[in-house]
Amino acid sequence: MKTPDIMKNLGHWSAGKFGAFKNIILEKYGEQPGKMLVHTGVLGWILSSLAQVGAVVFNDKISPEQKVFLIPQEIADAAVNIVSFYVVTNSVKAIASKLVKSGKLTTPAILNHLKKTGIKIPKKKGDVSPIGKWDFDITKLANYDEIAPQFKSFKNGVDVGASMLGSIISCNLITPVLRNEYAAKQQKNMLAKMQNKNAKHLEAPRGISMAEYQNRAYSKYSNLKV
Amino acid sequence: MASTNKISNISFGNSFTSKVSAAGKRIYNAIPNFKTVANPKVIEKIENFGKKCTSDKQRLILGATAIVMQPVIDAHNKHVDERTREVSVARTIAKIIAGTLTGVAIRWGCIKAMDMKIFKPSNFAKVSKDAFDQYKNAMGTIVALVVMMFTNFLIDAPLTKWLTNIMIDKDGTGGDKK
Repeated sequence: MKTPDIMKNLGHWSAGKFGAFKNIILEKYGEQPGKMLVHTGVLGWILSSLAQVGAVVFNDKISPEQKVFLIPQEIADAAVNIVSFYVVTNSVKAIASKLVKSGKLTTPAILNHLKKTGIKIPKKKGDVSPIGKWDFDITKLANYDEIAPQFKSFKNGVDVGASMLGSIISCNLITPVLRNEYAAKQQKNMLAKMQNKNAKHLEAPRGISMAEYQNRAYSKYSNLKV
Repeated sequence: MASTNKISNISFGNSFTSKVSAAGKRIYNAIPNFKTVANPKVIEKIENFGKKCTSDKQRLILGATAIVMQPVIDAHNKHVDERTREVSVARTIAKIIAGTLTGVAIRWGCIKAMDMKIFKPSNFAKVSKDAFDQYKNAMGTIVALVVMMFTNFLIDAPLTKWLTNIMIDKDGTGGDKK
């Protein structure tokens, strides 16, 4: 086979795969923007973590001995960031979704539809009604299609708001606190190692100063979030 | 004998899970229903937030809240001395500014680029305008994330360093010369 034919086939194959990928994205996220925010957020953390690990792997100024320590450390740091983001953001979004689907959080239009369906609307405390109960799901009703456009709009808004709230809690509260704890522990270990080394060789201190060390440590333990 | 133990372990696991699940359901059912969202303006705002809040706007909100929250957390970090705290606060602020500027700009550009023919899926005519807008948001964000793998090093890192150096002395002492 001639080279241009190979290139042509490769081009067709790539175009086909990209076309299929576009349709998957359209089907998967077209009506679920909250889910998209969680998934692209996780992907963002994975890619920025890969970049961080790559920065260590391909840095010629870092010795192989240091790389043995730094690479697993970067991977552990990345795992904390990714897991924290996914667990917190996805949980907040799932709770918000459940509130809307079970009817615990609703609008007059959705309530009217439920009333029309023959479901009892609770008017005062103590009224027995399936609305707001765990096993009740508006999307499973036989006549759901009649209310689907209004229901989806409201649910998507709540989902996106909840995902936003979850990502704020995770990225701006939990991750910085965990990162500081982790960095402080690593800093203590490394300082202890440096002191041991100096004591062994009984030499005048060489290399970096304490202030410079601290600056470098904090430059390292603060991920660049894309 | 071994298989009997395995079976009893599984049934214990299932029974434990179902008890936790039942307890979770009871707690959820005991929570009173929220007051119905009756104000049409509030409903419209919630619906628009889902439709119009693209990932560039979400990144801007995340950056705006980050600049209020993260420096405060670093400033109250008791594990390190004051000098280190100053450097870490400056670096956090610089990182948020650099990350937010590039993150918002690249996401915005990539979402806009989704109007190009190459990014249109073959099924786009079959879906609603809202669904197609959400597709542009998702696909634009994915493309932006790939672009940002490079800009992370080419723009974010040098910009963060430059901004940090504006806020502190270059030697990282926070103003105290050795």
